Amino acid sequence: MNLLSFLSFLILAITLLTMVFGVIAYFLYKAREKKKGAAKITYDEALELEERELLFFTKE
Amino acid sequence: MVGFIKKVIFLLTMAGGLYLTYYSVENLQNIFIETSNIFIRFGVILIFIFTMLIITRYLLLMFFSILQVVKRSADEDFRTSKKDIVSIIVPCYNEQDVIVHSLKSIIAQTYPNIEILVVDDGSSDRTYELAKTFTFDNGHRSLQVLSKPNGGKSRALNFAIKRAKGNLICCVDADSKLDKFAVELLVQHFKDPQIAAVAGSVSVVNTDTFLTKLQSLEYIQGLNMVKNGQSYLKLVNIIPGPLGMFRKEAMQEVGGYSHDTFAEDCDLTLSLIAKGYKIDFEPDAIAHTEAPENLLDLLKQRYRWTRGILQAIKKNKQYLWNPRTKPSISFVMWYMLFESVFWPFMQIWGDLFMIYLALSTGTSQLLLFWWIMFTVLDVAGAIYCLLITKEKLSLAAYSTIYRLAFITVINIAKIFATIEEWFNIEMSWGKLERKGRIG
Repeated sequence: MNLLSFLSFLILAITLLTMVFGVIAYFLYKAREKKKGAAKITYDEALELEERELLFFTKE
Repeated sequence: MVGFIKKVIFLLTMAGGLYLTYYSVENLQNIFIETSNIFIRFGVILIFIFTMLIITRYLLLMFFSILQVVKRSADEDFRTSKKDIVSIIVPCYNEQDVIVHSLKSIIAQTYPNIEILVVDDGSSDRTYELAKTFTFDNGHRSLQVLSKPNGGKSRALNFAIKRAKGNLICCVDADSKLDKFAVELLVQHFKDPQIAAVAGSVSVVNTDTFLTKLQSLEYIQGLNMVKNGQSYLKLVNIIPGPLGMFRKEAMQEVGGYSHDTFAEDCDLTLSLIAKGYKIDFEPDAIAHTEAPENLLDLLKQRYRWTRGILQAIKKNKQYLWNPRTKPSISFVMWYMLFESVFWPFMQIWGDLFMIYLALSTGTSQLLLFWWIMFTVLDVAGAIYCLLITKEKLSLAAYSTIYRLAFITVINIAKIFATIEEWFNIEMSWGKLERKGRIG
């Protein structure tokens, strides 16, 4: 394998890995925001969201 | 002598970039001739068009930027009228870690007639108390702290604009620290009555990690090549949040900041350009700001920027198709669409196409040359920007990683943001956590 082929393979592999990493990073960001948003909701907001008079919580 | 050597390095890199472009295009031509696969032929044509557009963008921006630098150095009239009252507005929401440093830098401004209006947008921390300790009024200068229920940045800015006495409005983010000449330098541009706004320069203060170094390089390039080039045409497309100055009259004419997009600064700038005003850039008026230190925060920032810009474009879409009656705004909007949508899509599509090409035909060298070509152009651009800003030349070395990994990850986030904006998926403003590094 000559140097040019090796470098081509290297760039190809890095490009592929970066793209996979970019997609994973994006979904990690979305998951984090979803978690943050869910944690910050107030009881009144939850009521409004569910369109109910009362909300019941179950103990795990 | 050192300066001369740096200029020679820049010219050699630029020449190398152009040679590689020629080589890559020749490679594309060979693939096009040798293959009978319609998909590959179509892909090659697209890659060719994309490459030509990018090269043209680089060359034009650099050409206009050089012209602007020459024009600025030839302009000997630096005297500014210091009669105008400048109202400096600082909207803040939970900024207790940074507000003190920010206000100290504003009070230290060399411009004499300033009215500082701090708007506490319903903070739940000690922002209001801390800002209140700075309150003063000595006739020429004053600092007042206004308070209102939380309603978002654009409402906080409009709230203060209504109460501002100055005919020039300077908007500053609470997490930014200004250089002491910043306001004085921005004011001088308003001698031209056609100028409605002037963008300040932004510098990253926390350049101690690899990620923030890459962002610092990105800011230096974005400001000194892109904004400097745009300022030659007096068509700067976004007044950055950390520092910008506006003519109050023009601002009121377009109704101030709007509340219906996530990029209120971009929307306001577009409205001003649509009204026929000119927008300038002052590279020496610097606001130092914190860049996100982890990747997820960075993605959050870019996601928000992309969707905000797309919302502003969508809101003003009638100007896209009016190049004859409104050439300036039409040109600016097409340029923004190119940068925020077309470029990310084409870069990722180009990478995917070349991976497909490598796997199906075994010609992986094209991807290597394509990457080297863009990297060499990035390095040339970085060297040019670092030369005019007198920043460390060693930052240019980061251009290799910038092209190989950084911009791909950012572009993927931009593509997802574009798709989500297309499908109107709900988004919230959020707030980036500040570490208080501007001190």
